[in-house]
Amino acid sequence: MKRRTWILSALGATGALVVGWGVLPARSRLGTPDMMLPTQGDVALNGWIKIAADGSVVMAMPRAEMGQGVYTALAMLVAEELDVPLARVRLEQAGPHAVYGNVSMFVGSLPFHPLDTEEGHKTTTVKVGEWLVGKVARELGISVTGGSSTMADAWDPLRMAAATARASLLGAAAAQWKLPVAELRVQDGVVSHASGPSAHYGTFAQAAAGTTPGNVVVKDRKDWTLIGKSAPRSDIPAKTNGTAQFGLDVRLPGMLYAKVRMAPMLGGTMGSLDTKAALAAPGVDQVLPLESFAGSTAGFAVVGKTTWHARQGADAVLVTWQQRAAGALDTQVIEAKLLEALNAEDGFVFYEKGSAAKAESGAARVVEAIYRAPYLAHATMEPMNCTAQVKDGRVEVWAPTQVPDMARAIAAKVAGVPEDKVTLHTTLLGGGFGRRLEVDHVGQAVRVAMSCNGKPVQLGWSREQDTTHDFYRPMHVASLHAAVDAQGAITSLRIKSAGDAITPRWFARGLPALSGPVDTPDKTAAEGLFDLPYGFANQHMAHVATRMDVPVGFWRSVGHSHNAFFSEGFMDELAAETKQDPLAFRRALLKDAPRYLAVLNLAAEKAKWGSPLPAGRARGIALHESFGSIVAEVAEVSLQDGKPRVHRVVCAVDCGTVINPNTVAQQMESAVIFALTAALYGRIDIKDGAVQQSNFGDYPMVQLAQAPVVETWIVPSTRAPAGVGEPGVPPLAPAVANALFALTGKRQRALPLAV
Amino acid sequence: MELNINGKPVQVEADPAMPLLWVLRDTLNMTGTKFGCGIAACGACTVHIGGEAVRSCVLPVSAVAGKPIRTIESLGTADKPHALQAAWIAEQVPQCGYCQSGMLMAAAALLESKPKPTDADIDAAMSNICRCGTYQRVRAAIHRAAGNPTTTTGVAA
Repeated sequence: MKRRTWILSALGATGALVVGWGVLPARSRLGTPDMMLPTQGDVALNGWIKIAADGSVVMAMPRAEMGQGVYTALAMLVAEELDVPLARVRLEQAGPHAVYGNVSMFVGSLPFHPLDTEEGHKTTTVKVGEWLVGKVARELGISVTGGSSTMADAWDPLRMAAATARASLLGAAAAQWKLPVAELRVQDGVVSHASGPSAHYGTFAQAAAGTTPGNVVVKDRKDWTLIGKSAPRSDIPAKTNGTAQFGLDVRLPGMLYAKVRMAPMLGGTMGSLDTKAALAAPGVDQVLPLESFAGSTAGFAVVGKTTWHARQGADAVLVTWQQRAAGALDTQVIEAKLLEALNAEDGFVFYEKGSAAKAESGAARVVEAIYRAPYLAHATMEPMNCTAQVKDGRVEVWAPTQVPDMARAIAAKVAGVPEDKVTLHTTLLGGGFGRRLEVDHVGQAVRVAMSCNGKPVQLGWSREQDTTHDFYRPMHVASLHAAVDAQGAITSLRIKSAGDAITPRWFARGLPALSGPVDTPDKTAAEGLFDLPYGFANQHMAHVATRMDVPVGFWRSVGHSHNAFFSEGFMDELAAETKQDPLAFRRALLKDAPRYLAVLNLAAEKAKWGSPLPAGRARGIALHESFGSIVAEVAEVSLQDGKPRVHRVVCAVDCGTVINPNTVAQQMESAVIFALTAALYGRIDIKDGAVQQSNFGDYPMVQLAQAPVVETWIVPSTRAPAGVGEPGVPPLAPAVANALFALTGKRQRALPLAV
Repeated sequence: MELNINGKPVQVEADPAMPLLWVLRDTLNMTGTKFGCGIAACGACTVHIGGEAVRSCVLPVSAVAGKPIRTIESLGTADKPHALQAAWIAEQVPQCGYCQSGMLMAAAALLESKPKPTDADIDAAMSNICRCGTYQRVRAAIHRAAGNPTTTTGVAA
């Protein structure tokens, strides 16, 4: 497919959409007061802001809190614009309206090179592409917490909504007091005038409602009092005393509990089902078969009066399973097929500069390497679960979900009701990491609730079901080639990777209406390979999209998570091949990428790159951009009992304007540990169709005793905010791998790392 | 049977083999104690039995009848937080927060046996799994609660 053809088809997504969006007007994301919950005493001023009688503020929260701190960070934007204390902003879950849809995430899915999307350097193609996709995304209005996009997406519309509300309130105060609006000031939510009058926002809310303020501008950054200063997270106190409510903590009168067993073979089906012993077990209500929901493997559910009873019942069911018709999946076979595809196919070219082929043919020598990364499970601490009640033609769902609109859609579809008959409550998420961008368990819960006579039912997976029935990070392999000329300079970089594309499968199972008959190339598969900042004169970056049939999904930092290991590992190889220091080698290639260079330099400086270390320790460095943010990490590594031990990770980040610095530090610390677990231990093997790992015994996690000290250094910036939740993940594995090379002389080209 | 939970006698009807975790969560609706793995590997379900940190997901309720059971619900109150809870807030430890009840209960048992734990003590006692990677803040918060001098976590300035 030609690149241009693809961009057009990706933009359109489906024929219906192409016809539809062209005629719709650009829609504001301010929203209307009726979009917020009508609560006694509160006055909504637009789709985001309500003013309570006591002058406090209620904001519509369109995103899920899964640890990344958005409940606090988004409230900070509102508090800043309205000049109210942060503690005076309460949250209300946003309803199913398009204004709350995530536009930034979809714009971010365009396969543009980051150096072409820098403000002031945008090419026409970039401008047109971003405008078109932005328009489509606004029309679709799909609410997603993902792609590290919450702050980038909320930055303009939420501040504008709060600033608009403020202007309306001040306008009402000015009218009431018959004073010039320009002379009013606001402090802690209290409007006042030097001549004496003073009253809180609640006084003016009714009068402000329905007014349309004129030219509204958001605060200048020099006037910020909250943005950029660490604020304590509002969700933390409840998370220290057991009162925070996650999905599994929903308790409703008369609620039943359901446990699930799915065919151990991915994509398998149920043969025979003998429920006699299960139904005879105490506290067991019923056993019902479950078909596939949004990509899940079929199985059955057992309903009981507690989780324990349901679990006992599920264990007592006698069942036979059948392999999927297409044959058993096997990761060894898949890896061989991927390596074959790498040789046999050209793949889709995501980036081309000069001619790598020409450079290689004229080279003194060509350095080449094959890199590999395995399937990975998400392993959220809170296993998959969903609570549902189907009663009187209505469906009520309580779900820890990153995709409320998709959850609502599958609930309606399964129950056979229109979507407006579905009420969705998003609970706190006990981890997301991309796993909760899937709605398989929501479909299961609603299906089970339909047979519970109107009683609510909480469906929860065991850890074993969670590990063996994930949507895994897809296995990838890559071949990397670099031409070296007679003077020892690198003249080209050519990378080809192969593995399954996630986005087409995700659309097909969760948003089938937007799924086309042909897969369009998936940026998320190639990100981190085609978008490198290094100034090689000749580059050729391609991805071969395969279909291995293992359910694949978005895993924290997605393609970047393995591609950074490939590209930054190979960069380290090239430095060694040309006998250069890995830091100096990168610096020389970043002349046209000053932001990258600044981040790299900061990490190197703070880690005291080049200074002596205790015997038996070595440093490794890696630099990577993802989700609009650039992160460099320096890892200090030794071997303990022959195994890698990471002592310290110095992390420098440029994520644009920082809202809550403490949250940025938290996320860098989190990303390092998450990525270290994957680098040291993470692998999912599939044999005879079944995932071999099942619980923390055979799918281990880094624990406190193995945790490195993480230092976070932030590069000051006045750019718009970019991602924070994911960008700390990609550089960690290559930084550790490169340190291991420095330590042992052995190159690490496969994950998990093996010394 | 009669259980002694957070200093109060509680009557429950439960299968003797039912793990304490599910009695707490599903029978008594005390949901502060979490389910993570079901095999005592992750520590999300940690409670105290007679002052010891115990993983309740594999502990038959019959084994704890009459023994003092303490859960996260009684570690402190909003008005009078436990020193660890105050330290957890000061160090901004939790992210998703799901594992933190278990973390806090494990840390509380540690401080009861070792009021001034060393890093090695913390390494040994805190084997709970946190997928958000809050470990260095957990360590800092335990030191803070114990009154040990410590470097505060967060952004390096």
